[in-house]
Amino acid sequence: MLFGAIAAGLVFGLYFTLVGLGLNLIFGVMRIVNLAHGDFLMLGGFAAYFLFYLLGLHPLVAAVAVLVVFFLVGLPIYYIIVPRLLLARDSEMLSVILFFGLSQVIEALTAIVFGTTERSIPGRVLGTGPVIILGQRLPSAWVFGAAVSSVAVAMVYLYLYRTRLGMLTRAVMVSRDEALATGIDVHRVSAIAFGIGIALAGIAGVFAPFMLGSVTPSIGVQINVAAFAVIVVGTLGNPLGTVLGGVIYGVSLMLMQTYLSSWAELLPNLLLIGVLLIRPEGLLGRKTRRA
Amino acid sequence: MAIMPLVYSNELMLFNFVMFLTLAQGLNIIYGFTGYLPFGYVGFFGAGAYGFALAVMHLHFPPFAALAMGGAAALVVAVVLIPMLRLSGAYFAIANLAAAQAIYQVISNPALEDITKGPYGVSLSEVFAPGLSYAVALAIMAATFALVVWLRNSRFGLALQAIREDPVSAAMAGVSVVRGRTIAWLLSALIAGLVGGVFAWHISVFYPETAFDIGVSIFATVFTLFGGPATLSGPLLGVAILYGVYNAIGITVPQYFQLIYGLLIVALVMFLPNGLVSLLTRRGIRVP
Amino acid sequence: MLSRILLLLPLVWFALAGGAHAQAVPSEIKIGSLYASSGPFASISMPVYYTLKMWVDQTNAAGGVFVKPYNKKIPIKLISYDDQSSTATAATLYNQLITQDKVDLLVADSGSVLTSVAVPIAKEHKMFLFDVSGTGGTFFTADNPYIALMADPVSTIWPKYIADFLDSTGVAEGIKTVAILYATNDFTTTQANAVRGFIQAAGKLKIVYDQGVPTTTSNYTVLINNIANANPDAVLHLGYAGNDIAFFRNLQDSGQKFRFVFGIYPGEEQDELTKTVGVGGLTNIFSYVPPSSYHYTPNFGPTLEQFHAMWDKAHLPGVEFGANAIYGYMTGLVIERALATTESLDQMAIHNAVFGLSGKLTTMDGSFALNEMGAQVGEITPLGQLQADGKGGLKLVVVYPPELVNGKPIIGK
Repeated sequence: MLFGAIAAGLVFGLYFTLVGLGLNLIFGVMRIVNLAHGDFLMLGGFAAYFLFYLLGLHPLVAAVAVLVVFFLVGLPIYYIIVPRLLLARDSEMLSVILFFGLSQVIEALTAIVFGTTERSIPGRVLGTGPVIILGQRLPSAWVFGAAVSSVAVAMVYLYLYRTRLGMLTRAVMVSRDEALATGIDVHRVSAIAFGIGIALAGIAGVFAPFMLGSVTPSIGVQINVAAFAVIVVGTLGNPLGTVLGGVIYGVSLMLMQTYLSSWAELLPNLLLIGVLLIRPEGLLGRKTRRA
Repeated sequence: MAIMPLVYSNELMLFNFVMFLTLAQGLNIIYGFTGYLPFGYVGFFGAGAYGFALAVMHLHFPPFAALAMGGAAALVVAVVLIPMLRLSGAYFAIANLAAAQAIYQVISNPALEDITKGPYGVSLSEVFAPGLSYAVALAIMAATFALVVWLRNSRFGLALQAIREDPVSAAMAGVSVVRGRTIAWLLSALIAGLVGGVFAWHISVFYPETAFDIGVSIFATVFTLFGGPATLSGPLLGVAILYGVYNAIGITVPQYFQLIYGLLIVALVMFLPNGLVSLLTRRGIRVP
Repeated sequence: MLSRILLLLPLVWFALAGGAHAQAVPSEIKIGSLYASSGPFASISMPVYYTLKMWVDQTNAAGGVFVKPYNKKIPIKLISYDDQSSTATAATLYNQLITQDKVDLLVADSGSVLTSVAVPIAKEHKMFLFDVSGTGGTFFTADNPYIALMADPVSTIWPKYIADFLDSTGVAEGIKTVAILYATNDFTTTQANAVRGFIQAAGKLKIVYDQGVPTTTSNYTVLINNIANANPDAVLHLGYAGNDIAFFRNLQDSGQKFRFVFGIYPGEEQDELTKTVGVGGLTNIFSYVPPSSYHYTPNFGPTLEQFHAMWDKAHLPGVEFGANAIYGYMTGLVIERALATTESLDQMAIHNAVFGLSGKLTTMDGSFALNEMGAQVGEITPLGQLQADGKGGLKLVVVYPPELVNGKPIIGK
């Protein structure tokens, strides 16, 4: 039972890596708390649902479509909201509230237009038959989700560490003002990062009907806490850290479900608080970030 | 407010007004004066509600003593969470939210059913006293207002605002940063705890979801921000206008309710980040 | 002189009697209710609201509802507010309905959570509460006459037929061990406690797994594996619809097979679960047979087919036909019968009228029976099984109690 739980945790955790990845990027680059992250994820889920049922598109195809569309949508959202936000005295705090408002708007619009019943996509679309790892029977959809997540992490890593734009992005993550001083077009870099972050949320959402059973307009809120736990544990700004954070989250959740099942939901919260208090720079952090 | 129950008989709505007025001011103390936003403010509220409930159910305290227990429970939680004050900005907000959720999950767990009644909710019908609890809520509100007025006009309040603007300079000027923050934190928690206790008293039947409803934090935050933090009249205006609008909309145009509220919040942050009173303070008019 | 007085007397008498009647007849009967248009309870609340409204509209089209004390039909005004699934908002709104709108009849929102705040408010204002589907056992106490449960059996007896079936047919087929997995909220935990109690009292089956998980649980893969390790013959999953969807999907994906598997919502919300889990994942699953899947013979109100036809014609947006659709309309029917038999619009008279229907009223929801504290002890949902109908779909077959059975259960090997 123990190894099975760990195996399941690894696979499930990799999905949560994907969930946290976009949030990590946005927070790292702009110090903005995107409380609407879970809701963009939810929109990705609904998009996958409708693309599947109306156009018969396979979720992988839907994921690519979502990637492009959400990225393009993220850009104008950035330009409308963020520069103004950063002018205020207390932008970090205000971003919390602003994006919360945005999340309410998204949730309300989705509920009004599509209704509140649970939506799902049949699991066999991503492969039939359980995959057996270490004695644990896992849905093949989970393995698929984990694979997509790994690809996404690799791509983000390549973007940040092997492309010029990525290097500029990392510069902005370290210090926005200094980056501006060296002539980097901070807004352009940030907008692109924001777009990517939203796109990643959307892709994670495409797989949500498989990993979470179903999507409703209100799942955004609970996703957020888990996403934060993942990125904080794994160190902000470092995509490999998010992998670690996701895996830790997944494994501990599965272990809790096995041994202390009714307390399972307590875990992400305690993890978050614990890491922030004990090692705020995260497990892979090098410099002491003023957490 | 005191005579309104004679005029307008939906006194539960009035009670909620009083409750939010007080909570907004309590939040104001920690956010407006020190710049920390406790997104999990409802954690203290819920702790206060359950402190009251446990005192009544297990210790058979009379209501006033139980109310004190509610306040004490919130203080205990605040003390436990003091280490969080080391964190800044968004980290603090999120950690605080996680803490409130954690408390909720512990209380509502069926393993603790014998103590907190777990997920089944609490029923305190033996101390049900709507008139008296309303009066006590008013008293708590008045005391909180007095506190904010004092803070606004005292050295301590000024010191707090200095800490908010620039902790390093404040420390160099001789302000005890840690002590100031801690006191504001504890005061803020105590207020929420007392409000939670009187809420439990007034409503007498509630599930853990009600006592730890994240909506409470959200409303208190938005009202304070809308009116303008660090002033007395800001949160007052915020509650009067926004909560009034909330109830009016809720009753007349319900299905677009969440949408309107969300848009209001977005517009507020984008265009009036320092609150409604900033329209006046920008022009140099000082508000109480 | 005397003769003039005698002449006047009948005129005076008529004036007084006619006047008294005329000033007392209300121009409309106000019914107050709440619904949740968003949040976790929206999917069970909106169908109730729409069909209650349907009943109101139909009754008004026929001239209004017949109110016995005035011996005439009076139009109904339905005043409904949105509580957005928030109990604090709901409490304020219930108060609003009673104190500001001064409704004549009060109907609660759906589910135990949103009904719970109404119970003390109704009791305090001495207003009778038509509790639609709030089944929490603690609502019904001897000291509160101002409540009655309309449409669902109270949670503490609801799972009775599961236990009875397992103890009789199950044991005969060799079932020896049971696993119970439930979500930790009032509704499903009460059912878990009830079924555990029934099983332990009968003493024929051994419980080998008994765990509660948070209601927000959305992945059951590890849990299913752990259950399989305990080797149960029967598995009972008691959770809300979202939990059931995730559970049955994960169960199908895992390829695990158990001899008897039960979930609440495959039957209660068959359309929705079939869409999300799929026919393959629900074949041979046991569940409750809600009134939307069983043809009771009513002595008042439409039959299931007639009601379903009404529903289809109404083209209601974004809601599925299921048990909750029936509950709303059926509450209207109870109100109709109560107003037709009550002595006055006084709340205790309404209480007497509603309780008077117990044992005498059968609607498309089953037989209406209240115990002395207002808990519904009739309308107990039979146990059924979703079996392949030969056309690629599923049909819900009743397997217990014996007097309602219309098919044979299939218990796995």
